[in-house]
Amino acid sequence: MLYVLSKITRKYGSRTVLDISLMEIEKGKIYALLGPNGAGKTTLLNILGFLEVPATGDILYRSKTVNFSESSLQNLRKEVVMIAQHPILFTGTVYKNVEFGLKIRHISQKKREIIIEETLELVGMSNFVQAQAHRLSGGETQRVALARALAVSPEVLLCDEPTSNLDVENQAAVINTLKQINEQRKITIMFTTHYMYQVSSLAHHTFSLDYGKLVTPQAESFNH
Amino acid sequence: MELLTDSLISAILLISSLDPEVFSIVWVSLKVSGISTLFASLMGVPLGFLIAYGSFKGKRILIICLNTMLALPTVVIGLFVYSFVSRRSILGSLDLLYTQKAIVIGQIILILPIVATLTIAAISRIDERYRKTAMTLGANRRQTACVIFREARFGIIAAVIAAFGRVIAEVGISMMLGGNAKGFTRTMTTAMALEYDKGEFILAAALGIILLVLSFGINLVFHFFQGRTRT
Repeated sequence: MLYVLSKITRKYGSRTVLDISLMEIEKGKIYALLGPNGAGKTTLLNILGFLEVPATGDILYRSKTVNFSESSLQNLRKEVVMIAQHPILFTGTVYKNVEFGLKIRHISQKKREIIIEETLELVGMSNFVQAQAHRLSGGETQRVALARALAVSPEVLLCDEPTSNLDVENQAAVINTLKQINEQRKITIMFTTHYMYQVSSLAHHTFSLDYGKLVTPQAESFNH
Repeated sequence: MELLTDSLISAILLISSLDPEVFSIVWVSLKVSGISTLFASLMGVPLGFLIAYGSFKGKRILIICLNTMLALPTVVIGLFVYSFVSRRSILGSLDLLYTQKAIVIGQIILILPIVATLTIAAISRIDERYRKTAMTLGANRRQTACVIFREARFGIIAAVIAAFGRVIAEVGISMMLGGNAKGFTRTMTTAMALEYDKGEFILAAALGIILLVLSFGINLVFHFFQGRTRT
């Protein structure tokens, strides 16, 4: 198992927004996370992405117990990338945005150029390398955010409603890219969505959350 | 009305004749204000950034104190610094009173809270998603802070420009700590006050015009720079 979450809770003030007794995530699979607004989906993704620390409980990642110290979480974040529901691009060009994570990882200039070219091609944004990020449309922003995440070759990709606010054409492009990277690079993907057709066409397994609790404690499986 | 038009015409003629006295005063003003803005920025920007970015006990009180200091009258600062640099006081041996250094010290105290509070405002306005995005891409605290700083840079530049605008137009500190000595500590504002006392409006009007043109020029450069960077 890639992740094993046990007895995880997360509170905002006195309100418990997440209460998961057991959750297991297998490497190389695509998971859909379903649930109404406010069910705790984003909070769960934040915890899986090591951006938030649970109030109680343990997380096993690659069979090791996660230490919630900042330095330890920072190292883990280099393997898990989250794309927000409304991703934001840094000021500057598309190239600079995709380069950000690579620079942090001290990847050489030559290698960076190759990776950026490859990932932008993968998401169909090759022609926008030198475009200013703030001038892109919503769909283009979403695809550049995806390229920026993929450039760092993550083990896990967490996507919070990756196709919300996108037109049909851009939705299909994002879904196809996610499917492709899972097949080719064996990246584990978890995405939240409200669209059932995306769940059936993309996900291998599905989790449902309601009021912070897993409605389907063990992942429900789909056969494609 | 006649007095105003006559003074303005004479002032423009004085400027166009490149009068050495006018330009000596302008040079002193620019030098003193530039140095104090530089030092206040070197201290105020990191201070504002640390306050806005960090989470620590007493943060709110610190911001309230800085906001309160925005209302400090220049004469109060002048008096405060005077009590440290006058001949018989603790720093009297340094012989700072009625020097440009004394004006710089007073002006730093005046604009440090401006730079710090406007930097806090600029950082606080930055979307939380920038921090989260940098973190999820593997950035450490320092790298994340750099991202926030970069995104807030126009707000920070605006803070520095606002501080320079405040300091070049102040009169109380320059008068009390500089002493308005011709060629040494006479700034545009102290010279204008002196000329007004003498009933001579031509030099005062000339300096007023230069002050406005300078202010306009600085803002023009800032907007030009901002426009170029965003396109």
